[in-house]
Amino acid sequence: MNLTLRTLFICALLAVCLRTAVAADSIPIGFHAPLTGFAAGDGKSALQGAQLAVQQINAAGGIKGRPLELVVEDDQARADQALPLANKMIGRGLRIVISGSYSAPTRAAAGVFQKAKVPYISAYGLHPDITKAGNYVFRVSFTGEVQGKAAAKFIGDNLKRHRVTLITLDNDFGQSLSAGFRDVASRFGLTIVSERTYAMGDRQFGSVVASVKHDDPEILYVSGYFFNGGPLVAQLRAGGVQAPIVGTEGFDTQDFIAIAKDAAEGVMITTSLDRDSQAPAMRHFIDDYQARYKVPANMVAAATDTAVTVAAEGLRRAGSDDTAKIRDAIAGIRDFDVATGRITFNSHGEVLKAAQIQVIRGGAFHHLATIDDPVLLAPPAN
Amino acid sequence: MDYYLSVATFAALNVTLALGLNLITGFCGQVSLGHAAFYGLGAYAAALCSTAGLPFPASVLVGVLVAGGVGAIVGFLALRVREDFLAIVTMAVGFVFLGVVRKQRWLGAEMGIANIPSTLSPLAYGVLSVGAAVGVALLSLHIRRSWMGRAFDAVAQDEDVARSIGINVARYKVIAFFLGTAAAGLAGAIYAHLAQLVVPDAFNFVQSITILAMAVVGGLGSTLGVALGAIALTLMPELFRFVNDYKLLVYGALLVGVMRFSPRGLAGLVQRFSGRALP
Amino acid sequence: MYYGELLLVGLVWGCTYALMALGLTLVYGLLRILHVAQATVFTLGAYVGVLTATQFGSLTLACIAAALTAGLIGPLIYRFVYQPVLNQPPFVPLVASIGIVIAMEDGFRLIFGPYGKPFDHGATLSASYGVGGLNVSAIQALIVVIALALVVALNVLATRTRVGIAWRATVGDRAMAESFGIDVQWMRYLCFFIASVLAGIAGMLIGLLNGLVEPGMGGVVSYKGLAIIVLGGLGNVQGTLIASLLLGIVESFGGVYLGDYMDRDAIAFLCVIVVLLLRPHGLFGHSR
Repeated sequence: MNLTLRTLFICALLAVCLRTAVAADSIPIGFHAPLTGFAAGDGKSALQGAQLAVQQINAAGGIKGRPLELVVEDDQARADQALPLANKMIGRGLRIVISGSYSAPTRAAAGVFQKAKVPYISAYGLHPDITKAGNYVFRVSFTGEVQGKAAAKFIGDNLKRHRVTLITLDNDFGQSLSAGFRDVASRFGLTIVSERTYAMGDRQFGSVVASVKHDDPEILYVSGYFFNGGPLVAQLRAGGVQAPIVGTEGFDTQDFIAIAKDAAEGVMITTSLDRDSQAPAMRHFIDDYQARYKVPANMVAAATDTAVTVAAEGLRRAGSDDTAKIRDAIAGIRDFDVATGRITFNSHGEVLKAAQIQVIRGGAFHHLATIDDPVLLAPPAN
Repeated sequence: MDYYLSVATFAALNVTLALGLNLITGFCGQVSLGHAAFYGLGAYAAALCSTAGLPFPASVLVGVLVAGGVGAIVGFLALRVREDFLAIVTMAVGFVFLGVVRKQRWLGAEMGIANIPSTLSPLAYGVLSVGAAVGVALLSLHIRRSWMGRAFDAVAQDEDVARSIGINVARYKVIAFFLGTAAAGLAGAIYAHLAQLVVPDAFNFVQSITILAMAVVGGLGSTLGVALGAIALTLMPELFRFVNDYKLLVYGALLVGVMRFSPRGLAGLVQRFSGRALP
Repeated sequence: MYYGELLLVGLVWGCTYALMALGLTLVYGLLRILHVAQATVFTLGAYVGVLTATQFGSLTLACIAAALTAGLIGPLIYRFVYQPVLNQPPFVPLVASIGIVIAMEDGFRLIFGPYGKPFDHGATLSASYGVGGLNVSAIQALIVVIALALVVALNVLATRTRVGIAWRATVGDRAMAESFGIDVQWMRYLCFFIASVLAGIAGMLIGLLNGLVEPGMGGVVSYKGLAIIVLGGLGNVQGTLIASLLLGIVESFGGVYLGDYMDRDAIAFLCVIVVLLLRPHGLFGHSR
């Protein structure tokens, strides 16, 4: 081999070694989200939220000087994709993994991570069974039932309305929200006039709108994501439905307002993000997200940001590679300030925190109320 | 190690599914665009049995029989309609299955059936899946060479001629459907215990098309071709990281490309270049 | 007027289905191909429509742009995907067509982003009118009017112009038509052009109705379109139109009354199964 070639070869070898050396110093955190497929919108938000958290943590010195590194996988929001991915991540020796995905893939993967004793944090997947997989599984968002209860209290106590129609998205998200709502409805003096359901793929709600006008409730409680909730709310208003609308965290994104436009004015949502918050961690997240991505923050991103922050905290407190220690460190988190509020874990890996009620005024989200009832919002403990 | 095992297990399940479809569409010429529904039927039936306390082998058997049974009924439907209509009817069966299952509380509605008891180790599932795939492959090869295979072939080529030479077209169509869907049910039953969770969305139209893609790329009618096609399409996203981001784009493009340039798939290519047919 | 509203909603849905299904039945009538890839030109029309409307503020311009873009792509799909495989068994073009749909859904996501584009219909279309106790929105009225206009235009084209007559001749008997000097290839391009224009306009209208344009919006509409043309009798234009309207209305009422038992989409397909069991050649089809 002539001199030039040999030099090039050595340089390449050095480069590879150095790269691996640098990589070896960082702490990898597993992360999976639906980057392709029907849920790609939420997947993108999820990834951005996680990347923001990593950037912020690394800018502040990382974990005892070592930077965090996200190891990202695409699960297309499918359980059968998530399973091999879970095994892949375990095979790579990842000490902690975050799910930035919907409930079904999270639930499937949870069992695998539990068996392998790798701590697993679900950012926004709300299926109750996720945390039932075992003590290595955590969730940093409300379960559906708890959110539904918060909404019921808000409608009964704060808004003082009584005749409600539920418009429920027919999936685990919507169904658990409605279940929670129904559970405590009578406690807050609410009568459920009717419940209308719709499917994930629906964008035209003509028959729902007609039915709601027929039912004539005082107020609507609507579950859904921005891509069905947006058209739904727009069509409700266009169809002449005047009743106030309370939505859920699925609407907590600027995309919802972009789609529903004028119809979004006055819509209230139960969520964990407060745009008007002065709490440092929440403010930090909201401002930095806007600055980095040039679009307003949303709930999915806030959830993954929180999950990464919690994971980093667990790694920091554990001070070691031992997954059992990391798990215990996370489980011991109390009154920890994150992008979605102040959280405390219970013995089943669920969080207790306040619920925020935001309202849309002038095309943006603003604070309306806070529901801070620890008994009502107690996460499931069975 | 676990990762490779996991991928191999899913590849084996996909082979089972694709071979089942091959029996119906490749051997007997009945286009079926709803195969995922039978995958789902097997999975749900097995899940219900296991959560009710039945032992694993019994659950799997129930899954196979339920899928095969419903498949036979669809086979009867196939008797009434032909070709293009059949493709649409099978597609309709897939959508109706999904639409109905999503709404049934006793099937867990959208949340599906969770916490399915799993008694085997990952290695055992891997062996079982591979065993199922091999079993269905051997069955296919046997049928190919048997009288039934010839009857299927005749039905696939020209129904009227087949009938005129005394072949009971109806019987063979139903048998093809039964066998193919039973295979799908087997895969489904194993999947339910492997994933310990069944949700409706895992058995939608895209899944039916994915299975079809595997069979078509491999070469409809060729057992080995279809098996290879299934393995290749399962491994593809894992082997090529960049494909992962464009997975569906590549899948779709592959389907178009294969149909355009080699409608007989991989097996067709092999035949063209080597002059010999792939079994 | 609950039932009146449900009826109106069903009618509007039926009109959008009709535009999709017409294209499908025209293609099937001429070539015996199940052109599932209609979904792609449908979605393309929607995206072109929303982008043009946002850029230039004119919905009319958007509509023309959507129609022309779709009309351009459709024949291209025929030329490069279907034409080479015309003499293969029927599942070949069908599978290729499905391949296009799947690939392009991802394609649209990659080009236009995963979030979907909001479609602002502007002040004029936000109005709604009271018609005999019913609340009719401007968009709903627009859809019905456009669908009607297109169907009438198509009818005039088919019965009163030379091109239309040539086309019907080609559908009826290709060899005979060729012997009369009709360029069959041009008839095919025309067929795909018309089918795609209809789909592109339908896409834009649905985008307006939903207020949102997404990469995956064409899929289910296209599959339902297939169900409709089967119900109407493959290749039978009048049957398709009637089946479209009927399906829209059945879905509207069915969504309310059968909603506890099955998905709205499943209703259409259940109808297909039931009807085909009773009349294997469709509601209005003839045995070949």
